[in-house]
Amino acid sequence: MSTISTHLRNFKEPTKEQQTHLFFALPPEKPIGEKDVELEKMECQASLVLSGEEVFAGKLHLLPPYLAFCSLDRKSARFTIPLSTIRRVERLNARAGVYALSLSLYHGMKFVIHITSLRPTADLFCSLLRDALKVELQRGRMKLVKSFVKTCYSEVLVASTENEEKEAEAAKTDDNSSSSESSYLGGLGLKFKFPGDPKKLREASKTKLWTTYLKVHGRNLTLFRYAQCTRLVQVGLPNRIRGEMWETLSGSLYLRYENPGYYERILKENEGRTNTATEEIEKDLHRSLPEYSAYQSEEGIASLRRVLQAYSFKNPETGYCQAMNILAAAILIYMSEEQAFWLLEVICDRLLPGYYSPSMHGTLLDQRVFEALVHRCLPILYDHFQHVDVQLSVASLPWFLSLFINSMPMVFAFRIIDCFFCMGPRVLFQVGLAILKINGEDLLDIQDDGGFIQLMREYFSKLGESAHPESSDPRARAITRFQELLLVSFREFAVISDDTIVSERRKYRSEIVNSIESFSKRSAIRNLKTLARFTKEQAGLIYDALFKAICVIPPPATAFPTPALLTTKDGGEERPETRIGLRTFKVFLSEICTWARDEKVVTNGVSSRIERDVADHELVDRLFFFWDTSFRGALSLQDLVNGLDGVMFNDLMENIEWFFNLHDKNKDGYLTKDEVLTLSESLLFIFRYEVGDAYLGAVSRFMSNAFEYGDALLPRPDDAEPNDDSTPPHIESNQPYMNLATFRMVVLADEILESFFETDFNSTFKLEPVPLDLPSSNPSVLGSLWSNIATDDNKKFFNIVTDQIGRTIGKHQIYHRPAIGKITSLEEPKARESLLTPTMRHSTSQASLDNKASESSTNLATASVSTSSSLLTVDTPIPKSKISPAEYSPMPSMLQAAANAAAYMERTPFAIDDAKDGDEDTDDESGVEDDGVMDEVDAFLEEHDTGLTDADRELAKDLINAEPV
Amino acid sequence: MADGASGSAERSVQVKLVLLGEAAVGKSSVVLRFVSNEFQANKEPTIGAAFLTQKCRLEDRVLRYEIWDTAGQERFHSLAPMYYRNAQAAVVVYDVTKASSLEKAKTWVKELQRQANPNIVIALAGNKVDLVQPSSTPAVASAAPESEDEADDATATPGEAPASGEVESLRQVPREEAEAYAQEAGLLFFETSAKTGEGVVELFTEIAKKIPIDQILASTRGGAGRPGAAGARAGAQEGGVNLEENAAKGKDSCNC
Repeated sequence: MSTISTHLRNFKEPTKEQQTHLFFALPPEKPIGEKDVELEKMECQASLVLSGEEVFAGKLHLLPPYLAFCSLDRKSARFTIPLSTIRRVERLNARAGVYALSLSLYHGMKFVIHITSLRPTADLFCSLLRDALKVELQRGRMKLVKSFVKTCYSEVLVASTENEEKEAEAAKTDDNSSSSESSYLGGLGLKFKFPGDPKKLREASKTKLWTTYLKVHGRNLTLFRYAQCTRLVQVGLPNRIRGEMWETLSGSLYLRYENPGYYERILKENEGRTNTATEEIEKDLHRSLPEYSAYQSEEGIASLRRVLQAYSFKNPETGYCQAMNILAAAILIYMSEEQAFWLLEVICDRLLPGYYSPSMHGTLLDQRVFEALVHRCLPILYDHFQHVDVQLSVASLPWFLSLFINSMPMVFAFRIIDCFFCMGPRVLFQVGLAILKINGEDLLDIQDDGGFIQLMREYFSKLGESAHPESSDPRARAITRFQELLLVSFREFAVISDDTIVSERRKYRSEIVNSIESFSKRSAIRNLKTLARFTKEQAGLIYDALFKAICVIPPPATAFPTPALLTTKDGGEERPETRIGLRTFKVFLSEICTWARDEKVVTNGVSSRIERDVADHELVDRLFFFWDTSFRGALSLQDLVNGLDGVMFNDLMENIEWFFNLHDKNKDGYLTKDEVLTLSESLLFIFRYEVGDAYLGAVSRFMSNAFEYGDALLPRPDDAEPNDDSTPPHIESNQPYMNLATFRMVVLADEILESFFETDFNSTFKLEPVPLDLPSSNPSVLGSLWSNIATDDNKKFFNIVTDQIGRTIGKHQIYHRPAIGKITSLEEPKARESLLTPTMRHSTSQASLDNKASESSTNLATASVSTSSSLLTVDTPIPKSKISPAEYSPMPSMLQAAANAAAYMERTPFAIDDAKDGDEDTDDESGVEDDGVMDEVDAFLEEHDTGLTDADRELAKDLINAEPV
Repeated sequence: MADGASGSAERSVQVKLVLLGEAAVGKSSVVLRFVSNEFQANKEPTIGAAFLTQKCRLEDRVLRYEIWDTAGQERFHSLAPMYYRNAQAAVVVYDVTKASSLEKAKTWVKELQRQANPNIVIALAGNKVDLVQPSSTPAVASAAPESEDEADDATATPGEAPASGEVESLRQVPREEAEAYAQEAGLLFFETSAKTGEGVVELFTEIAKKIPIDQILASTRGGAGRPGAAGARAGAQEGGVNLEENAAKGKDSCNC
């Protein structure tokens, strides 16, 4: 029912190089492996020198296969041109000290660039440019330019004026012939008319202005953008070249140029395919600008369908989002399907990132940014909205999501879109703020969301009217409300720059990510069919563990429909659901289950930390498939909840049965001999870090008992024909061998195993808060500061250093934390126990010595360091078995480290301590000798331990409280 | 819509109502049927939510429904709280010809019961019953031209023209099942057809009856004036709702 996505956490701020790339609207780079040649990038200081002695100082970027330039102020001059349009580069013999290049382009333009960097830099730049040009030539790109520019209407436009000049009389006939032979691309508007009245829009004069501009300053691939270009865009693009200019200004032109035939291909490859996205597209086709005549015809609908489908095939993760239909329908009026396809790509990928993704995080983020900007720029209005509890987004969300297209009359929306493609996403914010500002007084009267929407609706419907109808000045009366809106947008909110948007987005990103994640967590838990015996909070902890596991190892990527998603056929409807594979499951289990992880406690005298690794054992695999009740090879959150429910609430008998079933692979109620062995291995795996040999002994006893009883009980009840041999029949290792009753008997025959199944096994499963120490979850300033300092690398480095220090001063200790850790807690009282009961004193002389020593310390019970530390070690099993978040904070662990260190220093000769401290320090021989004794002690303590341990713990706690270390 | 705040402004009570449900179950159609009698083929696509208003007379009072018709696509789900917060009523719509849409409706109900205004009146509406009835069902007398409605419906369920012989087989959600669920969850329940108009007016009338109008009125006069806060407060002192049982009257007068 639900999907879990972690990709929001993987967001990285773009690097400086990527920012440059974005600024020049270049197509995304191909991954390194796919490039034919690795060409170096370079930038250098340069000035663009125009014929009229106008000079723009700026930076020249070589970004193969593009050459780009931008003036220092970022707006007076810029260009992005494919290298393949460069026809000639000359080094000019200019005045001394000036490094000048003259470049001629495909469209016949010539321009001069002075490279103002130092001579060696300039030389290097030129040689790199030469190399890059050579590569383009070899790739045959130069030849493609001609056929590509033919698809652009601007060529026709410019050609027609040239003809006019040459043969003024024959213009008309020539015009006709040229337009009929050219194959430029165009939108539905060519056939179904463009919205708006061409006269009112002053199409003719705008077209003329643009024709001149394009002729002089290049067009399509070679457009140079000066301030005049932006001004012309703000006045509104003429319908005929609007589509092409959108392409050029947004950079989608380069995508189309680089990927000829892609659009047709992707449609062909996916012909006839249906999925959720295509179904959703079908539903909305007739709801996309239905008032425009093309979308009342099959032709328009078919175009729209193809573009949206092609996009969803190319970007299966985004697929289709409502509002994209409106965008696509709008741009298709002005451009061909292929152009629209690439423009849609640029919009969704670069201009409005994350707007249409399944989580819509981009939309939510920009709404938050917009709110912040309103707060800053229009504080009175913001306060009023707060006061009457009106949410900006109810009105502003559609503005951003569909670029005002279904908010205001189309002619006006398209003019905003013109600016949007030319100046970038900040336009949306500027216009949004201007709308609020202009309506400020009326907005202060609204009382609720409904009023807000109503007011906005009225305002938008009157955009064509005069802004100052009462004015005596006819020129003022002529200004429409829409003109006023643009004026306010770009004058009064000019402060809103691209950088503002970028930094505001950065500021609120983690807030948005957190809220999206907690929302999806809530709904994932709400959507569980059953919580089983868990509370909602516990289910939340399971979710957290799963989420963390997915962060560490994302679920296997299936090719389609989206990575991380498998679909279930549920009531005929496909519902995506996140399911995890075995590798992710291992991480998940290691979060919850103590034996599914290898934990090393490392102390080095400076700090103490826990290094946690995911354990790998057949038992974990077995559990995975055991819980995979629907045999999908992947587990959903519900599977995990059910699985944990099956094991975490069991009593002794249920636990034994559960363990039996887990190992009974074919579910016939019998374990085979092999399975008995596997089961023993599983037990050994669980016990692998337990201190001492008690558990080892228990397992070996279990094995011998199992085969003994198994052989004795086996054949008669089951075999129809009793075997001829009097000796126990030979059972193949893969034949049914032991049933549950026998297994239970064997388990109960051993006290350690009994207690294991009674309580310890349950307590190896713990639902605890999972620290999601991922970068994006630090909203506070201090938090982000800390996360900057405490990066993973820094932490690692710190650990290495402190380990070294620890080694030098001999305080470096590593021990594995046991999965159960019960024995450790037993052993401490054991020492004391033996004091009180002399009968227990048939241990080695060394042990009794130890006991005396600790007796004295216990009896003294003074505030001496040795006592408190020894008691502290008694207490350690408590925090050890629980990984409380507090333990990650330095203080308690320092405390514990100090305590441990003190314990080691004070009490190294103690045999029991040796045993406790794990393999590294254990004296093997004494361990063997002690074996029998330990068992006895264990046996005794089984009966007596609890009360005493508690008492000791109490005492220890008191001491800790009384005397901070 | 045009006759908004004029006239009996003093007496009219604002009720915020939100429509939720899976995509293409006909949420927008239901609202359109209820709101616009002359039925302009207003197929404004739902981005986030469409906002419409409609007055409804109940005895001597006038209710002014502020209807938020939300987008049905799954990914808009996270935006829904924005629209259902402070709502006094919700209509959760499902499609009787699509079993999965009831499942989605149930999750909406769960969410509303946990996250929304605690006194929210929730109605469950099984839409598109016209598809599962013999075609002889008399259409509720309405001024709406049939053809336009049909066209709108077609956007939601493309190419589903039931042959009158096998209509019952199209039904995937038995009335009894949905009704039982509604009862269990404490919801109003209706089967509706936006196409024929069946059940639509009743739906909104019954919701109107269940809403504690007096409290809203009282608290609105009391100053704060926000329907959300009003609703919350009103519900807190539950009980004083006293509406005459006169469904027919309410139904007739509601077509204002």
